[in-house]
Amino acid sequence: MQSRGSSGRAAVLAMAALTGITWAGAVSAHHSFAMFDNEHQVKVTGTVTRFDWTNPHIYLFVTGGEAGKDAKPMTIEGASPGILNRIGWKFNMVKTGDQITMVIAPLRSGEPGGLLKEIKLPDGRVFNNGGFAGPSQISLKDEK
Amino acid sequence: MRLAALAAVSAAVAPVFAAAPATRLAPVPKVEGVYFSGTWEDPNPQEVLRAPGATVQRTPTPPAPFNDKAKAEMAERRAKQQQTKATELTGGAACIPGGFPGMMGPVFPLEVLQSPGQVTIIAEAFSQIRRIYLNEKQIAFEDAEPLFWGHSVGHWEGNTLLVNTIGLKDNIRIGGGPHSDKLQIDERITVTSPDTWEDQITVTDPQYLTGPWTWTHKYVRRKDYKINEYVCEDNRLYIDPATGQQKLRLGE
Repeated sequence: MQSRGSSGRAAVLAMAALTGITWAGAVSAHHSFAMFDNEHQVKVTGTVTRFDWTNPHIYLFVTGGEAGKDAKPMTIEGASPGILNRIGWKFNMVKTGDQITMVIAPLRSGEPGGLLKEIKLPDGRVFNNGGFAGPSQISLKDEK
Repeated sequence: MRLAALAAVSAAVAPVFAAAPATRLAPVPKVEGVYFSGTWEDPNPQEVLRAPGATVQRTPTPPAPFNDKAKAEMAERRAKQQQTKATELTGGAACIPGGFPGMMGPVFPLEVLQSPGQVTIIAEAFSQIRRIYLNEKQIAFEDAEPLFWGHSVGHWEGNTLLVNTIGLKDNIRIGGGPHSDKLQIDERITVTSPDTWEDQITVTDPQYLTGPWTWTHKYVRRKDYKINEYVCEDNRLYIDPATGQQKLRLGE
């Protein structure tokens, strides 16, 4: 476990580089992504129990997990409605009971949750989570 | 039965309205300056938002000319933060808006509204609003209550709106540094075409900067874009008292 200072600062710098935020300019990002493990993304399948379309972040609550592991309640963080509206998401496109597949950067703490990278809906459509979240290591588009 | 009653009431009321003297209302007064109302965006963020991992070239902000007093205070603050465990969220993590001039670096879009005597700029992120009062004298430093967006007055010179802002809260840390109550921010907002404008921002602070600090933001029109509302209603971040680190509240 890295110290708070170094991992926090590295994440903030990485995010600043990623988003083009300058130190003088906007600090409109809500938080750093240091708590998520971007290097070890996993594919998760589950059933949606709730979908919160809220600022500063949207949340997907699913009961599921990685293939071959026990299903459990998970909390997945997405970008903000404003960002997602602009990349084709819709406030009601995920529904309770939907079977969905996601790529997430899991919480470093090991708790059941993570940052969304990609989502595949029951109708086969695939969406990313906007630029701030960074690229997905696994592509759901190519899956049948 | 009910319809008949309604008709009777209408008939009784209608002549009252008809008899009222016509009130002459004023038309909307002429708005001065050149037209730049509408929704705007930095030329780059659209690509940043769409393409995860996209790298963006933006006009670099030159380093802040902090003086020794500013540098010493920043070093002291950093050391204190590293030594003490955080107990509460601050800034954006606590859903506190970035204020001015940060809101002019638009990762999310801006909306400009021009009305008589006023230019209003709304940032989508955190629903921030700043009001620039036209052709008014700036208030004295000692009268400037510290605010998130300060006190802004402006006037047009050709295609350029010159704006002066004073009175920012201490927690608006421009470039991560401190500022004094003698801080001034001057803007040259130049409308460069019907669909582009730029904001040259110059920060001066005799107590913390060795000289003026200037950078420029550019904007392009987003014709059909409607600003999203933004209320920070579901902040799931909290500080873990054991470690002082940010954590996410899990579960429904």
